[in-house]
Amino acid sequence: MGTPASSDAAPDRVRSVSVRGITARISVREGVGPFVNEPPLLLCNGIGVSFEVLQPLVDALDPRRGVVRFDVPGVGGSALPPTPYPIAALASWVTRLMAGLGHQRFDVLGLSWGGGLAQQLAVQHRRRVRRVVLVATGTGALMVPAHPSVLLKMSTPRRHRDPEYAARIAGDIYGGTMRTDPAKGARLLHSVTRSGPRRGYYYQLGAMAGWTSLPFLRLLRQPTLVMGGTDDPIIPVANPRLQARLIPHARLHLYEGGHLDIVTEAERLVPVVEQFLLGLRPYIEPDGKAPA
Amino acid sequence: MTATRTEPARRADDRIAEARSRDEPGASELSTPLDLLLSEAGRGPLRRFLPGMSGVRLAAGLARRPGAVAGRAAGLAAELARVQVGRSEVGPHPKDRRFADEAWAKNPFLKRTLQSYLATGQALRGLVADANLGYGDSQRMGFIVDNVVEALSPTNSPALNPKVLKRTIDTGGGNLLAGGRRFVKDFATSPRVPSMVEPDAFSVGEDVAVTPGDVVLRTDVFELIQYTPQTTKVRSVPLLIVPPTINKYYVIDLAEQRSLVEHLVQAGQQVYCISWRNPDARHADWGLDTYGQSILEAMTAAQDISRQEQVALLGICSGGMIASMVMAHLAATGDLGRVAAFSLAVTVLDQHQAGLPSALLSHKGAAASTRASREKGYLDGRALAEIFAWLRPNDLIWNYWVNNYLMGHAPKAFDILYWNADPVRMTAAMHRDFMDLAVRNALVEPDAATMLGSPVDLGKVDVDSYVVAGIADHLCQWESCYRTTQLLGGDSRFVLSTSGHIAAMVNPPSNEKASFQTRDTNPPGAAEWLAGATKVRGSWWSDYVDWLAERSGPERNRPRRTGSAAYEPVCAAPGTYVHDR
Repeated sequence: MGTPASSDAAPDRVRSVSVRGITARISVREGVGPFVNEPPLLLCNGIGVSFEVLQPLVDALDPRRGVVRFDVPGVGGSALPPTPYPIAALASWVTRLMAGLGHQRFDVLGLSWGGGLAQQLAVQHRRRVRRVVLVATGTGALMVPAHPSVLLKMSTPRRHRDPEYAARIAGDIYGGTMRTDPAKGARLLHSVTRSGPRRGYYYQLGAMAGWTSLPFLRLLRQPTLVMGGTDDPIIPVANPRLQARLIPHARLHLYEGGHLDIVTEAERLVPVVEQFLLGLRPYIEPDGKAPA
Repeated sequence: MTATRTEPARRADDRIAEARSRDEPGASELSTPLDLLLSEAGRGPLRRFLPGMSGVRLAAGLARRPGAVAGRAAGLAAELARVQVGRSEVGPHPKDRRFADEAWAKNPFLKRTLQSYLATGQALRGLVADANLGYGDSQRMGFIVDNVVEALSPTNSPALNPKVLKRTIDTGGGNLLAGGRRFVKDFATSPRVPSMVEPDAFSVGEDVAVTPGDVVLRTDVFELIQYTPQTTKVRSVPLLIVPPTINKYYVIDLAEQRSLVEHLVQAGQQVYCISWRNPDARHADWGLDTYGQSILEAMTAAQDISRQEQVALLGICSGGMIASMVMAHLAATGDLGRVAAFSLAVTVLDQHQAGLPSALLSHKGAAASTRASREKGYLDGRALAEIFAWLRPNDLIWNYWVNNYLMGHAPKAFDILYWNADPVRMTAAMHRDFMDLAVRNALVEPDAATMLGSPVDLGKVDVDSYVVAGIADHLCQWESCYRTTQLLGGDSRFVLSTSGHIAAMVNPPSNEKASFQTRDTNPPGAAEWLAGATKVRGSWWSDYVDWLAERSGPERNRPRRTGSAAYEPVCAAPGTYVHDR
């Protein structure tokens, strides 16, 4: 946050909008130049963190590309919804949010928990979603699960609230660069993020309970890029492989790294996303090697 | 959190605990309304309806005067009998909008219902007066009785309110269905009070908080907004506004033509405003010193950007309390020359007998409340909103109860209410520090409180000051605000605006009814002051602009851009912190 992007980018505008009675904090960067009439990229965040966490990812994207970020209801700066919600309701709400911003069509990138939302958006609003990028995400209840100790740590928002705890466990649950520099994870989750009420986190967990994309992945029609880290304790690498096999127009990109590398190693990984969104043929490394 | 508590923090806790042990009748007057709110909000809303020892003393007081009680009962019985035969003269106050419908006067059944209600309410209120309670107890019992009486009003019942009955027939019950839906939505999440405004009625940065400017500094605690000059010449000394810490800053930048900031910018001031971050559990340790330090940082930034040796300060409500302590800190460190002029709006520094809410605060309550917020890490602004609403139930609860749930209408779009529904959390440490100040009334006594290590002696603050209060302010009574003029060391101009806490602040010159009172000298007593004050037509905003212009240096060309090389603009106003819910 705070570093002005290169001069040809439109500024990020943070504001609050109300969609179906729920006030959400969003950040919109308008597309400029060749991206003026292109669908923007909607970023769906991981669980329990506000959109500031995605800043390195946004900075690594083409500065002229339109980008929309939002805090999930009950998280960060968005209001807590009155009741728990299913993921389908959230997908419908997000589509309404995008329509309100004047975007009938958009690309979506989902990271971790947000990847579930992205899959739901893709199948539920097939005409609205043009391209899909799934990063470090699984197929919901029916997937190759993480180690139970990882799941236990994921079941509470404590790592977002207690920086010492976050530094202690970051390597174990996020893998990749977090193993060598756990303080980086703690900083990432603690300093920039806005934390909402604890109930918001549990609503988010609950939204995914019992949900799985496994039955409908074959129905996806959008070009899809599936990315996964080979050292990701939360999402074992079998998951992205499975997704890429089931989704008809999928490309798989495996990289050496952990759960949050799309953020911590954005300069290295985001160009893959960028090439895919431009419709260019990405380099596919079936062996999981990063491009030279 | 507990592990990182500092030594002063522990001392403050000890003092509150000690005060608690000295808690006795009469001592409860040492508090401000604000502090009552803070105290109650830490503990949940039901507490304030429990009469506790005040109830016991009420019963005891009445038991000593059986004659009076019997008289009241007989009087009520006689009045009710007259009501039954239609000879009663009891009627609602002509300005009471609840009973504006003519059915209350024409329909014999409704008329009798209304008169019985009014007579019973009068008798109940009379009983509290009969008991001859002390200041604190009578305020507290009066509050509870008022609440009960107002809740029982026949207008609140769908079967008795003629307006609702008519609408139920017109819509075939649709109003009650829509109202039921609203009720479920409002009461599913806190604050559990009727919503006074739709969540999408306004949008921050679109139709409120729209004065153009840039965020020129962002720290963990605040964003500093520099407003873009709108005149070719500006006053050389910048003005820094310190807004309250328990609501968003944009109360002073509501819609166009209703914005104090806009008014000041258009009058040629260089305006800077702090926008506090909405803290959460991770920021539990931010106390008075954190906020005081932030004010100093903002002052430095404003000085550097405008290349001036001085700033003018304007503190509002709780922001004014912190700003006053910072002033004392500057005086103690010999740095008071940095401030060209000091202004306070609706701020209470002396908290002795500060009105109804103060009477409801006890030391025991203060201790329990700070304990509760310490466990959670913060005090939730929404809990404060509940407390505030129940302090004025007729205006803020039952009015909307009828409109939203019985009539089934959406509440009207009103920018102040939208702002009011957008609260900010208060960190546990800040809450504790404020309670500590309140319990000891520490700002009145020289050196009883500290700010950034300096003892606070307001008498040493000898800068010219401008103090404004609202005559109908329920939160910060104007008499309490007036005492500030006796505390500060310099020349004070006291201005008494019309209206209450917020409307006194949002008082644009376009308001034809606006007026204020002022006078050249400040005698010790508020009543004495009022007796000699003269009434001026127009808004105090204009008066303030003149006062400020005399103290903010010569005019110069406006700066070509906002910020400076050292303070590159981060983003456009209103910034990002203001959007955190």
